[in-house]
Amino acid sequence: MKKLPKYFLFLFLGSLYSTNLEPTFLVLNHFDKFLPNADSSLIENFSNSTFEFDSTFQILFEDIDNHENPAASHMVTIKELGEKYQVNYILFNRIEHINDRFILNGLLFNTRSGGLIHRRKIDLKQYLNGQINELNMWVGNTVGQVEKNWENNRKSILFSDPEEINYQKTPRGAAIRSLAAPGWGQAYSGKKISAGLWASTESSLSIAAIISFLNYDKAAKSFKKNSKLYHGTNDEKDVANYRTAAENDWNDHVTFSALAIAFAGATGTGWVANSVHAWIVGPRAYKNLYQKWDPKSPNTTG
Amino acid sequence: MKCHRGQLIIILACLVVYSCTIFEKDFDNPVDFEANEEKGIGAPTLVFYPKTQTKTTSDSVIVGSFIVFNEDSTKPFAGIHLQIEFPNTLLELDTIKPGLFITDTSNATPLFTYTFDSINTIDIYAYFLDTLKKDLEGTGHLADLVFNPTSTGSDSVSYDLNACEMIDHEDNIIVLKGDRGAEVIVQ
Repeated sequence: MKKLPKYFLFLFLGSLYSTNLEPTFLVLNHFDKFLPNADSSLIENFSNSTFEFDSTFQILFEDIDNHENPAASHMVTIKELGEKYQVNYILFNRIEHINDRFILNGLLFNTRSGGLIHRRKIDLKQYLNGQINELNMWVGNTVGQVEKNWENNRKSILFSDPEEINYQKTPRGAAIRSLAAPGWGQAYSGKKISAGLWASTESSLSIAAIISFLNYDKAAKSFKKNSKLYHGTNDEKDVANYRTAAENDWNDHVTFSALAIAFAGATGTGWVANSVHAWIVGPRAYKNLYQKWDPKSPNTTG
Repeated sequence: MKCHRGQLIIILACLVVYSCTIFEKDFDNPVDFEANEEKGIGAPTLVFYPKTQTKTTSDSVIVGSFIVFNEDSTKPFAGIHLQIEFPNTLLELDTIKPGLFITDTSNATPLFTYTFDSINTIDIYAYFLDTLKKDLEGTGHLADLVFNPTSTGSDSVSYDLNACEMIDHEDNIIVLKGDRGAEVIVQ
């Protein structure tokens, strides 16, 4: 019976400790641009969780996809970090900016097992405080606390109804432009190299066709002239000379006619192919479609 | 719009193809031995130039008589007899002039004579009698026959090859292998 008070004391402390179990995170943020409120936003928005921040483990998670089993790629290290920082989870967040887009790559590791338990990769067009909003949504998703206004913030840049989408550039527009001038459609679609290639190829073929035709025309006229002179003289030497000249002209006009037709055919075929190519590589919707940011929309990010 | 575009492409294609017309080779000058050979007429050949001519009744019709050799196998000749028949219903003989080829360098006519049967046959005799050369060689102009049209229509002036003769300066006969007539159209 003397042991009974000790037993209750342990039971009380145990239950006290268990009720105070809030998730603890070691957050490893790696952003290619400085995001001033990233850390404070997490602390403010997720008051039920505890966050430790450290940004010295960048290289560790870069090659995760090269492992046969990414989920178990760094188990030992994760466990060691968990013990070192006394946290339940390790949250690795990387944000990269590419032109007007940003890519959020999030990894959540459980320090108890050392495994990767959750992963998210988002490729989005930048919107107002979009990086912080997406970071909140990602962390909120891991802890089961996603606020409606974060979702509304993201939805505000997405078209809810595809019928409302007004395409400024279309594959048809590209095809029509290329039909008018080779390479224009590709240039319109932002494909400058193929635009240059098509324009130079079609120009070269057109010039070759025109030069061949002009040579054909010259040879044909010369043939007719020499034929007339040939028939108009009774001098044997002139007859022989005009005949030789006319025969040479005839051979030339046949050769240049064939070349002109071949080059013209190639130009025409290339022209149509160029238009089809412009349609194929023409501007199409890329991943998500966004509508113009409405500045009246409230900023609800942390 | 698509239909119009297609038509435009077809028209342009036709324009390119048909604008590059291949002309037919038509080398048929009677003085050209190659043209005669292509027609199966061997050399030496007696021909008229032009091969065809169109005149009015008020014009004179001049028909040139030529001897044509293959330039690779010419034979020297000194005298020639030509028998020519013409359509007397269409033409009447006006004059016969010696050709430049058988005239010597001083532009004199050594020997050139002709007979006309007053119907439709002309016999021309020509001999080359130069002081330095004995023979002539190659293609050349033998005579010009001047006719006056008497009515309208078309007919031809021709050689009677069996009666024609060509000799060298030793009186050896040079075989004439062919002849070509001339068409005269009087309008």
